[in-house]
Parts: sequence; structure tokens; C-alpha cells
Amino acid sequence: MFAISTMGTLAVLASLAAAAFGVFAGLALVSGQPGALAWAKRCGIAFGVGMIIANGLMEWALITHDFSVGYVAEVGSRSTPLSFTIVSLWSSLDGSILFWGLILGLYVLAFVKSVGSTYRPQLGFTFTALFAVCVFFAWLIAGLASPFDLVSPVPADGPGPNPLLQNHVLMIIHPPMLYGGYVGMSLPFAMTVGALASGALDAEWMRRIRFALLVPWLFLTAGILLGGWWSYEVLGWGGYWAWDPVENASFLPWLTATAALHSSMVTERKGALRAWTLSLILASFLLTILGTFMTRSGVFNSVHSFTQSPIGPVFLVFLGIGMLVSVVLVAWRIDDLGPDQSLGGALSRDAAFLANNLLFLAFTFTVLLGTIYPLLNEALTEARVSVGEPYFNKMAVPLGLGLIALMGWGATVPWRPADPSVLKSKLSIACGSGLAVGIIAWAIRGFEGGVLYPSTLAAAGFSTHLTIAELFRPGMERAKRSGQGFGDVFVGILKARRRTGAYVVHIGILLIAVGIATSSTYRQERGMTMSVNESGEFAGYRVVFDGFERDVEPHRTGRVAHLSAFHGDEALGAMSPRLNHYPTRREPIGTPAVYTTLAEDLYISLVQIDEAGGEVSIRVIVEPLVSWIWLGGGVLVFGGLLILSERKTRRRRKEDAA
Amino acid sequence: MNRRVLFVGSACVAAMVALLAAGFGRNPSEVPFVLQDQPATPFRLERLGGGDPISLEALKGRPAVINFWSTWCVPCKVEHPVLQAGANRYRDVQFVGVLYGDEPEAAQRFLQRTPSVFPTILDPGGRMAVDYGVAGVPETFFLDAEGRIVRKVAGALSAAALVETVEAILGESS
Repeated sequence: MFAISTMGTLAVLASLAAAAFGVFAGLALVSGQPGALAWAKRCGIAFGVGMIIANGLMEWALITHDFSVGYVAEVGSRSTPLSFTIVSLWSSLDGSILFWGLILGLYVLAFVKSVGSTYRPQLGFTFTALFAVCVFFAWLIAGLASPFDLVSPVPADGPGPNPLLQNHVLMIIHPPMLYGGYVGMSLPFAMTVGALASGALDAEWMRRIRFALLVPWLFLTAGILLGGWWSYEVLGWGGYWAWDPVENASFLPWLTATAALHSSMVTERKGALRAWTLSLILASFLLTILGTFMTRSGVFNSVHSFTQSPIGPVFLVFLGIGMLVSVVLVAWRIDDLGPDQSLGGALSRDAAFLANNLLFLAFTFTVLLGTIYPLLNEALTEARVSVGEPYFNKMAVPLGLGLIALMGWGATVPWRPADPSVLKSKLSIACGSGLAVGIIAWAIRGFEGGVLYPSTLAAAGFSTHLTIAELFRPGMERAKRSGQGFGDVFVGILKARRRTGAYVVHIGILLIAVGIATSSTYRQERGMTMSVNESGEFAGYRVVFDGFERDVEPHRTGRVAHLSAFHGDEALGAMSPRLNHYPTRREPIGTPAVYTTLAEDLYISLVQIDEAGGEVSIRVIVEPLVSWIWLGGGVLVFGGLLILSERKTRRRRKEDAA
Repeated sequence: MNRRVLFVGSACVAAMVALLAAGFGRNPSEVPFVLQDQPATPFRLERLGGGDPISLEALKGRPAVINFWSTWCVPCKVEHPVLQAGANRYRDVQFVGVLYGDEPEAAQRFLQRTPSVFPTILDPGGRMAVDYGVAGVPETFFLDAEGRIVRKVAGALSAAALVETVEAILGESS
């Protein structure tokens, strides 16, 4: 029987060969041989299947503790629970690149299926670009980052995966979601290269690109939010976002992709902003590669960094080539892609989307500059600086505020120039709503938070009002005309899934924005040290220290403090924050205890247990409306799925008609 | 071909790649050690297993190596023989262990199995660790005869690092 490492290496090499052959099949398609389409599709299937087999083999090796496989010897351990053994596929550098290959393979398979047998002029270059990306990753897996290297002599056991990744169940889903976003950007990138290189950008291809962008965008959004949630539940500082370089690296392509999703609507409807939209899509992919470079080059400091590895320079070369190809393609076609229809006036949705895009672009530059500034400064002056939260928050808050307000405005103004008098009546009511929300927020939370907080809430109130009004408007108007009941209005809303989904996404974002603004402005924090049976009070809560224990598990030793929490007279139950000591790590990793309600969270993290002295030191944080962020995330994903489902139903309807 | 877009775009690409390439070899997590060459914070703490307390004042006059450790940390066990060998080789240097976030009983059980030639002191509440900015174990501080912190090593101490640092301190003082 062949060893797993041999079979895995063969599967990766087969994928590499399929991708390399696919590049040529794509070029053959470009040179006008329609028969090459079938070959390109076969290569895609072979690449995807090869990656699925390679990943399956690695999972098998991890689960069966086959320490003869290099990656298993690096991250496996007999004492690690099965669930974390399964996810340790993406817990370290080489495995994460293999996992990247799997997701890429799945996207390629989906693309091959969506292509059908119809020849399109863009397909040749699209396949060429897509397979070029596949060649790069398959080559990395087969060579520099090979996880299937044979280990000799075979160790009896391994160290286990990074403890930070073993600490919470969210770690099981956060990375795959983020990878779904990162890797998925390859597809709209390749399709955009296809459109630019072939010079053919019809409305149907634009719709396909938009769909191909929406899927990874949704994954990326969910991945970022889950990452924030994980950070909140695990790291013990009560925060969910720290402007860490790698968080920024995931946020950058999200910003450009969100901008592209909006400008592509203008492109789809009016044929305008084409070069702009396509550039944003190219940038989204390139920023995901930049992000990958950041985590894997050892150049940036972050909790996410993998160990320093030789693949940094390789990624940089890949990034450089990708950027250069993009610049050449845009420069080549930009004059052909000029506006074939002018935009509407200042009071049209075109103008709102343009403003949206400018704000997103400013946001992207702000975050990019802050992230690379330490590097820039060190290169020029050799002085070491770090750009912290104050810069990012100072810059991001006004931009975010503008985007929140635009959300309602953009939904309300029509595509054609608006009638100012109609607009005035709509807006004045919404302004009233916003003002009311702002004043209520100010009254509840007090005045010490400054003017920014009530302004943000007022903008959110304004936009929520307009979004909900716009969501129901067509149905209500129809109902008024034809005398339909509320049930029919609701059915109509559910049927227009793309439109409804988009507004639901906006409502999700507004919930998130309110959650972030409130929790970050009105967070209260206090440290307490208590002996057994003592209690401490803070912000209306009372915490009693009942005792501590040691929890010895095969892969870690936990020190747990048992506390009882009360809000006024109401008992909230037991809360048991802990510190986990992993044998391979210097610092303990905490698991805070969190009591969540819609109004606020009580968050307790364990700082220190003095077992000899019978004392415990805890950090108590009270954070209002944090749960709105996770709730908003759920709403947002639901809206995104609604949009994606419309395309499916539309295609089915088309097929039925045919 | 729009030459302006090509030119400006290519220049941006070149600048970006050059900037990122300049970052190679840089250690981004290197943080300047603020206690470097500063007088160490005084302490007076009980010995593990009883006996006279140990204080910084008493250590002065000879170089000292202060090692924060615990029984639950694998790198501490890895460096244990290195420290023992160091203490045997440099009789003029005082070695002191500080128990970090651990039970004295657990430490005593460990030291019964793998004895130590130098004492360990107890740091209830981790106050000394806070004073010395200890982020985790093991961390080792090298003090000169005046009680100034000459060097800190985070993570398991290698024999080479120990010899090099101690020789440097002894060389300066002689």
C-alpha cells in the first residue's frame, strides 16, 4: 500500500498538471478553437477533484495520527480532541495553503458547472487567468509549502495545533468562511481579466461577475464578523476589533468589493462606470493576496501571523505580477470602456452610488495607509512606529457616519433625477425619525459620550426609516392601486428577492453599526480582587467569588474561577472564567465568561488566581448592545442568501420557459 | 493603450512591491525592552520550602540570574538543565528561580524529581512578575553586580545565550 504522503503528493501534482494544461486550453480557446472549451472544463474538474482528494487524505492522516506525514507531525497530537484535530488542517501555514487549494478547487468546479456549453468570448482569458492562479497555489502546495513531506524517523506524538485555535468552537468556522471570501475573489478577478483582455463586456457577463463577487463577499463578511466574535469570546479583553494588520487585510478587500457591488449596479443599468467597477474587482482580489502576504511573510506583527517562512517573497512576486497585469489591462481598455451613457443628476441614485464609492475608496486608503505606514516609516527613517486605534478610529468614524447616512439616501433617490418636492416630503419624515432616535439615545446614555454618538444613532435612525419605507413602498403602492391586503404585500416583497435581500443586508449593517457605536462608546470596565465568598459590585451587577478549581484535560490544564453573578436582586447564574495553560505556550489563554442579553453583556475575564492565598483577580466589563453586532451579522447573511437565491429561481424560470 | 494610466499604475505597483520587499528580515514583534539597563525593582520574598527570605539587596555585589518558571510550562522544563549547568559553572553568579502562577506544592513535587542547585522564591499574587513586566514563562533576567537589568530572554534559555550573557557581565565587572 502507498503511504498517505505519497498519495497526497500525487494528488497535488495531478492538480498542478491539470491547472497547467488548463492554462493552455484557455489560450487555445482565445486563439479561436471552440473545442478547447471542453478541455478547459475537464482540466477544471481534474484540478478540483485532485484538491478534494489531497485534502481528504490529509484529514485522514490527521484523524488517524499518521505522524509520518510532515504536517501531521507538526500540528497533530494524540491528546487533541477530534473536532480540533479535524480543523487543524488550517491551523498552520502548510495546511492552510492546502485548504486554500481545496476551496479554490470547489470554486473552479462551480465555475465549470455554471459555464455550460455556451461559448462566450470572455471564457478563453477567464480560464487562462483562473488556471494561472490555480497553477500558483498548486505549485506552492507541491513545493515550498508541501504538507505531505515524509518524516523519518516517525515521531510517536506531536505538539498539537496552535493553542489559540483550540480554545473555541468559533475557530472551527471563522477560517473557512474567511477563506471562502479570500479564495473566492479569484473567480471575479479571472472573469474581469477575461472581459478586459477580450474587450467584451456585455450586460450578461457583468451580471455573472456580480454574482461571482457576491458569493465571496458574503463569505468574507461572515468571516470577518465571526473573527470579531471569536476575539470577543476568547481573548478576554472584551473587544472584537483592534485594527490589527491582518484584520485590516481582511477589511480592505471587503471595502473594495462592497464598493464594486454598488458601482456594478450603475454599470449594469446604465453601462457607466465600467472601468471603475472592473478596477475595484481587480483590486479586491489583489488585496486578498496582499492580506495573505501579510499573514505569511513575517513582515507584519499580528496575532494572526504564521511563523516566518520562505513563501513570503514568492507571494510578493505573485502579487507584483497580478498588480502589473491588472494595470496593463486597465490601461489598455480604459479608453474603450468610457461612459456610453451619462450619469443622472445630483439627486439621482447614480450620484448616491458615486458618493458611496468615493467614501469606500477613502476608507480603503485610510486603512491601507495606516497598515503599511510603520513599514513606510521604517524604510524612510529607520524609526520604528506603530499606528494604533486612535488613528483608525478618528478616520473611520466620520467615513462610517457618512456611509450610514448614505444608505438611506441611496435607497430613496430614484435612478432618474428625483422630483425635489417628493423627495423633500420623504426625507423630512425620515429626518424627524433620525432626530428622535438621536435625542433618545442621548437622553438614555447621557451626555459624556460627546456629539458623535447621538449623530451616529441619528444617521442610523434616518437610514433605517428610509430603508424600511423603501422595502415596503412598491408593494404598498400596488396594494393601494389594486386593493390587495397586507399578506399580498408581504408575498410581493418575498418574491423580489434581490431587492428585498439588498435592503435586509442594509438593515443588518445598520444593526451592526449601532452595536459598534454603542458598545465602544459606553463600555465600562473594572478590575476586582476577591477572596472566597467575597463579592464585588460594578455598574449594577454584583459578583460573588465561590471558589476555584483545576481542570486537567489531556491537552491542557485549566484554572477556573467559579463566580455567581447578580443584576440587582436577580440571580444570573454561575459564571466560570478560566485560564488555560497549554504545554507548548508561554502565556496562558483565557476563556472569559459572558452573560449576554439584547441590552448589554456582562463580561468577566480571569486575570490571576492566587491559589495559595485564596484570591482571584478578575476584569469585569459591561458592554451595551454588543449582541446587536452578531444579530446584525445574522440578518446580513440572511439578506445575502436572499439575493443569491433570486438568481437561482430566475434561472429555473428561464429553463422552465425554454 | 492609455499611457498615463499605464505609467502611474506601474509606478504605484513598483513602489508597493519595493516597500513590501524592504520589510523582509524585519522582526515586527521586536519591542524595545524598557527596563534595559535600569535598576531592578527591589523585592523580598519567601523561599520555596522555607528558609530565609531572598531580597534584591542581598543579591547585590554579585551578578544574578533571575528565572521565572512554572511546572505547567514545557519550555521551563527544557531550560531547567541549562540553568543547573550554568549555576554549577558560574559559582560567582547567583541563580534564583521565581515561581510564576503555580502552586508551591506542585513546584516542590517537580523539584523532588529534578533537584535544583539554586533556590526558588514564591511570588504570591504575581507582584514581582508585574514589576518585571513578565508576560509569560519562562523569562530570564540577567542583573549585574549593582542590580541593573542587563538583559532579558523570553522563552527557553539556550546554553549559548546564558554563557554569552554571563561572560559579558563578568568581563565588565572584572
